[in-house]
Amino acid sequence: MWGTGFFKGLGFTLKMLTEKKVTHKYPDEPYIMPDRFRGIQHFEPDKCIVCNQCVRVCPTGCINLVGKANPDPEKKGKVIDTYDINFEICILCDLCTEVCPTEAIVMTNNFELATYSRDYLMKDLKWLSENNKNVREENH
Amino acid sequence: MGELRTEEMLLNVGPQHPSTHGVFRLVVKVDGETITECIPVIGYLHRGTEKLAEDLTYTQIIPYTDRLDYLASMLNNYALVQAVEELMDIKVPERAEYIRVIVMELNRIASHLVWWGTGLLDLGAISPFLFAFRDREYIVDMLNEISGGRLTYNYMRVGGVKWDAPAGWVDKVRKFVPYFREKIKEYHTLVTGNEIFVARVKGLGIYDAQTAIDYGLTGPNLRGSNFKYDLRKNAPYSIYDRFEFEIPTGETGDVYDRYMVRMEELEQSLNILEQAVASFPEEGEIMAKVPKVLRGPKDAEVYTRMEASKGELGVHIVSNGKDKPYRLKLRRPSFVNLQILPDILTGRSMADIPPIFGAIDIVLGEVDA
Amino acid sequence: MFGILDQQFSWLNFTILALAAVALLLVVLLFVMYAIYFERKVIGWMQLRKGPNRTGPWGLFQTVADVLKLLIKEDVVPKKVDRFLFLIAPIISFTPSFMVIAAIPFTENLYFTDINVGLLYYGAISSLSITGILLGGWASNNKYSIMGGMRSVAQMISYEVPLIMSFLGIVLMTGSLNLRDIVHAQIDSGIWFIFPQFIGFVVFLIAGNAELNRTPFDLPEAENELVAGYFVEYSGFRFAFFMLTEYVYTFALSSLMVTLFLGGWDAPFGLTFIPPIVWFALKFLLLVFYLFWARATFPRVKIQQLMEFAWKGLIPVALFNVMLTAVLKTLGIF
Repeated sequence: MWGTGFFKGLGFTLKMLTEKKVTHKYPDEPYIMPDRFRGIQHFEPDKCIVCNQCVRVCPTGCINLVGKANPDPEKKGKVIDTYDINFEICILCDLCTEVCPTEAIVMTNNFELATYSRDYLMKDLKWLSENNKNVREENH
Repeated sequence: MGELRTEEMLLNVGPQHPSTHGVFRLVVKVDGETITECIPVIGYLHRGTEKLAEDLTYTQIIPYTDRLDYLASMLNNYALVQAVEELMDIKVPERAEYIRVIVMELNRIASHLVWWGTGLLDLGAISPFLFAFRDREYIVDMLNEISGGRLTYNYMRVGGVKWDAPAGWVDKVRKFVPYFREKIKEYHTLVTGNEIFVARVKGLGIYDAQTAIDYGLTGPNLRGSNFKYDLRKNAPYSIYDRFEFEIPTGETGDVYDRYMVRMEELEQSLNILEQAVASFPEEGEIMAKVPKVLRGPKDAEVYTRMEASKGELGVHIVSNGKDKPYRLKLRRPSFVNLQILPDILTGRSMADIPPIFGAIDIVLGEVDA
Repeated sequence: MFGILDQQFSWLNFTILALAAVALLLVVLLFVMYAIYFERKVIGWMQLRKGPNRTGPWGLFQTVADVLKLLIKEDVVPKKVDRFLFLIAPIISFTPSFMVIAAIPFTENLYFTDINVGLLYYGAISSLSITGILLGGWASNNKYSIMGGMRSVAQMISYEVPLIMSFLGIVLMTGSLNLRDIVHAQIDSGIWFIFPQFIGFVVFLIAGNAELNRTPFDLPEAENELVAGYFVEYSGFRFAFFMLTEYVYTFALSSLMVTLFLGGWDAPFGLTFIPPIVWFALKFLLLVFYLFWARATFPRVKIQQLMEFAWKGLIPVALFNVMLTAVLKTLGIF
């Protein structure tokens, strides 16, 4: 019958008035992401073997790294010197952690990247290695 | 007293206008409230995905497909990996296929929910949006849990999927199905029966099936005009031939029919989910044996298509034997569906822009690629 | 008020009246602030949200902060507007909304003027606001705002007719246009006019809803078609004036509806120990709640449908109601 739709709708919204609210208290209480969540990367310089795979796989080309000869003359290979991720263009696609053979670069569950200037979005080795909270457990 | 001078007014709707959902611009000529001419202007979100893809390996393209129709990234992911799998003749393990179908149908529901909420928001009903997003949140949480992303999943890989379903995840989907069936009923109570809503969308933006086909429309926009065409049934891909479901169609091809088709599709997606969860293989591989570097065959071409939430999403890859495509062409349903907009908008009033435009259901990321 | 208007003019009386007006203005402003708060809370709850809860306890100061922000904002007057009209439009729009409140009796003794043609006064003054809206829309020199202004005028003029016709039935029944007399007639007969005049009530509710430009009739400010409607170019306290007009009319129209149909300050079921002003406020809040409730539920109608509905739907019904009342009155049933 014409006209019943109004009352049905009104009844429904009235019922919702007392329903439990579904919002989160986000800034007051942290929003817990599931373990697999792809957040800002954590980098462990000691594990890195400077294989350059992450740089090659990155679809946006946001990773820049420079290696240097191992300071210990006994050992062969290179160690990492600088490691920068440009979060202006990083899309957090997870491919760098997927290819990393030594799990030197891993994801964390941190996602708060907002800053007042884009200069802060260039994250260097020091920042990335200090970003060691909420590191993802499962990486492959 | 002389005659009153009247003139047509040129109005720029967008690119920053509340009802265009992103950066879509519509140049309309209005005579009073009646639209006499209308030109859609697109390209504000053009990122050159197709060209970029020529410089990326097949795996690297997957995150870029996330950003086409960003409301249904799983479906885009699938469109690409399907093409590459066909190109390289890779057989995907059964468990991976099941996971793919489940995440795709979940994502289709999420995409339709956004359409439902925002479409009604454009009509001035503010509550449906919140209810739609409450339920979409459950889906997004589930997809977040399995893929690690809330919107851009980057979940599918050539030959399978990135992660296996975590413990208890399938049960969550199982529980979601009856929960959401109830919610669809609530949606109908709140909106579908509302006389104002019906009066606004019935008999609006009508086109018949032949016009729709001539314009190349697919998806709910075509089915709303009473034409049964759904690639999940007409050209089954993945494991869709194993599931029982209906293809809802409309009668007259107006906005109301397109609305009902999409609402009906929510139910059908639930049906597929229910069956997929019931026959979900206990264990199995989630990745096929694929070479470490994916190289396409020399001088090969492949075109695959699938039913995305907006319509037929096709991927055409030309390979010249490298690990990158020589050419990648995407048939983006939003882009094609948009063509009919000037045709059905001319002669209508300004107030009809939101329902007609909303019923086409475009996502600007996909229109502009 | 308290017979002052009947006395000889003196500066003392003038001061008392002015102070009373300021007091009323403050009450109205307080109402507006908390009506917005109440609206946001109610709609929030209906949408499974919490509504404003950050500023002050339970977000009670949210609207205070909003108003403060609007008042101290830079006063932007776009370059190509018709400056004079642009500046006075909000004032033209706001003044009548406050003037109509003078005619409304809140309780037996609390009223400002006891005009014999109170109803007519309300109808006449409230239609002046349209001028402000049209001028604002026109002077802004913006295509969206002119469309919003035109829509608004068309809508308000159309809905004024059924609005006024809907209470003709009551006028016929009581034989008076005086709002106090109307309330007294309800108290004396012991039956609120909502029952004998139910058709009138429904017409009034719908037309009043349209008159207030509230959902489902909020198309002058249809955000998704016209961005914001007639006040698209306004900001700061000029915008606040338009906003204020809207909510003061909500106050005035709901009060009028309580007076006409819900027995004013009359206590139902002989519950006279509750003061009349509380009864008035309760009935009033019920109507205001309805307006917010409708906003949380309905989509917006289309301008063509809106006009059709007014002229082909509401006006015949209102006319029928007038005729029915007249016939019943002649037969001596009322």
